[in-house]
Amino acid sequence: MRIRHFRTARLAAVAVAATLTLSTLTACGGSEDPASGGSGALEMWTFKQTHVPGLQQAATDFEKATGIKVKVQAYTPDDAFATKIQSAAKTGDLPDVMETHSDGEDLGFGASGIAAELTNVVNGEWLNRFPENVRESGYVNAAKFKESQDEGSKMHGVKQGARHSVPFTIGTFGIVYANKKMLADAGITKPPANWAEFVDGLKATHAKDAKNGGLALGLKIPDTGITWLAQPLAYSMLGRSGYEALFGKDKAANWSSPNGVKVLQAYDLVTPYWMPGTQTLGIDEADQAFAQGKAAWLVGGTFTLSFLEQNGMKPDDVYAFGLPGDAAGQVPDLALGPLALTGLILSATSEQPENAKKWMEYLSQPEVAAKFSKASSDLPATELGSEVSDIVGPTLTSLLESFKGTPDTTYDPARREFFPPGYKQDKAGSILVDMSPLKKASPEETGKKLTELTDSFWADGQ
Amino acid sequence: MTTAHRPALSGTTGDGGESRRPPAGVPARRRRFRTEAVSGYLFVAPAVILFAVMGLYTIGYGFALSFATWNGFTPNWKWVGLDNYADLLWRDPVYAPPVQAAALNTLWVMIFVPLLTVAVSFPLAVLLNQVKRLQGVLRSIYFVPYVTSGIAVYFAWRYILQPDGAVNFLLGQLGLGSLQEPQGWLGNPDTALGTLIVVIVWGNVPVAMLLYLTGLQGINPSVLEAAQLDGAGWWRTNVSVVWPLLMPLTAINVLLNLRESLHGFQTFLVMTNGGPGTHTNVLGLEAYRLAFLENLNPTLGLSSALGWILFAVAMVLALINLRVLRSRV
Repeated sequence: MRIRHFRTARLAAVAVAATLTLSTLTACGGSEDPASGGSGALEMWTFKQTHVPGLQQAATDFEKATGIKVKVQAYTPDDAFATKIQSAAKTGDLPDVMETHSDGEDLGFGASGIAAELTNVVNGEWLNRFPENVRESGYVNAAKFKESQDEGSKMHGVKQGARHSVPFTIGTFGIVYANKKMLADAGITKPPANWAEFVDGLKATHAKDAKNGGLALGLKIPDTGITWLAQPLAYSMLGRSGYEALFGKDKAANWSSPNGVKVLQAYDLVTPYWMPGTQTLGIDEADQAFAQGKAAWLVGGTFTLSFLEQNGMKPDDVYAFGLPGDAAGQVPDLALGPLALTGLILSATSEQPENAKKWMEYLSQPEVAAKFSKASSDLPATELGSEVSDIVGPTLTSLLESFKGTPDTTYDPARREFFPPGYKQDKAGSILVDMSPLKKASPEETGKKLTELTDSFWADGQ
Repeated sequence: MTTAHRPALSGTTGDGGESRRPPAGVPARRRRFRTEAVSGYLFVAPAVILFAVMGLYTIGYGFALSFATWNGFTPNWKWVGLDNYADLLWRDPVYAPPVQAAALNTLWVMIFVPLLTVAVSFPLAVLLNQVKRLQGVLRSIYFVPYVTSGIAVYFAWRYILQPDGAVNFLLGQLGLGSLQEPQGWLGNPDTALGTLIVVIVWGNVPVAMLLYLTGLQGINPSVLEAAQLDGAGWWRTNVSVVWPLLMPLTAINVLLNLRESLHGFQTFLVMTNGGPGTHTNVLGLEAYRLAFLENLNPTLGLSSALGWILFAVAMVLALINLRVLRSRV
């Protein structure tokens, strides 16, 4: 009896051990979630919380029209979204459609096999809905292909002529927001017309209220300072060729040259007027601080307005305008070129690719884009026609004014071909932060460091 | 019963039973042996497989990756030999300078975090050990920083350290306005790293204190009485008797804090993201950035190489610590 009991117990123990072993192996294998495709609902992820109401509205209408349900989910901030996509790609849990940054991230996902190819899907009729200058966004043209040839490029491996995303929203950086009331208290009744007036305005609001009268910018993300403020200013001061030469190898024209130092000195003029602690704030935090009245001025993009609204600020309470140019510069009337800011990608592992494509196409239809724009206070890539001001409201309309310029007077942040291979703005931004607001380096020292940095990328590229 | 049974068995074998046993007995024993062996292997299989997959495979995979460039998704790795190590340590003008700057910051953290943790937790444990009433309550209160440490606490610290945060407010209220930090304690590059060290120490003190407390409660009271009879006062007893007796615990505390200082990055990620500028960037954060925040640039190999460099440093520190422990204990 005892022996039988022992054997039974041992058999049971062996069975449990075998089950555990198998479950371990099963756990280590890939998982198939029946709910991901079985529910019938499409899933879409975005990194823009402000886009969620507009997308949900569109999803409701889309379901009524087609019977296809779409679930929209936001993951913020950008870094968390990027890591979320990467981890989901590893575990096979990607959604069907994702809204990502355009002209870099989207093609990176394409090269990595995360984003499906849309080359034969996005036809001419679809593309014609977008302004001409953003139609190539998400498409691997010759310049992009050349950039991708660098082995250190995130786009390395894309095929020339392939499309991996379709434009969704457009806009630009270097948009200044100013609190009308705080400006009025300091005696300012209209937006500054040039850089000197902008600095004078900062001085006035700061003198009125040193604690809350400054300039906010999320410098915890260091590239904001250089891409949103310093580079458009440099373009205005030096013109296109002078600006592009800042990133070149010629020491007589790059950041350490008299031209480069002149730009840095002009940028340094804002140093006394930063909002206290702005270097510790992320982009959203700086926007929130401005909305809460902790700063009189804010530098952001066209997309910032919707975030300010979400944080309780009315568009009528702010002046919104493109960064004013240098009156004595090569381009005094600076225009800011619109670029595709976000695009839609189709997951390569989507179980409902046809439905997902229908949803992507639906979002680009003019009437859907108009509704989205109204709900999210952002600019869709789809052209809205002559009634655009009725749809987007007067504040966003005034921002559209900043897009108007000739090719020579327009600072186009999408142009990167003059940068050294693999150039990283965040590293340049950190150097600039050391000068302003941290006051750890002079403009001359900063120019030298920026030149060393660009030289290192040129050397690395070789 | 057992002892009585054995001679019978040995008698059988002693009579040359091994050779004279029926031939059928050998396979039966072997079968039983095999069955037992198989069931034994099955018992340990889950743990072995888990270790093989989660431990050995991951370690091997990570080590191999440190000799390649890859972004985590492309089909093929590109083998680069020791290039990743050379690029990080001195060769690449883009990657080496930030790593060198981060190494210096990490060094400061590795010096001051263990030092301050020991300097705060040992006296605290001595005082707490002498409290006769409410010792349990006080111990729980002192342990709060450890159990609440995490993302939420780091965010709370950020608010406290802002220009209009509690620290500046308190200094103002105490008439110490000149000590206020107008850019916030994390906004000034001269104070940011020191402030982060203080926050890390605040989180590490509870465990260190608890370790000292267990050590203090294990000291034979007669040793302390003997010291007092010899005329040693409170200070002398603690410095010359208690502190040397607790030296092994100090070594453990130092080692734990060194390891945390070398690898830890979450405090830096949440509170400053390495800023302002790059003034609080540390090696752990740099490895995390290279792995996950490079937007699909092929820098996973660099990250892995940096991880192995950190591992090598940790091994050296552990060996030194072991040596010190052996010579002291």
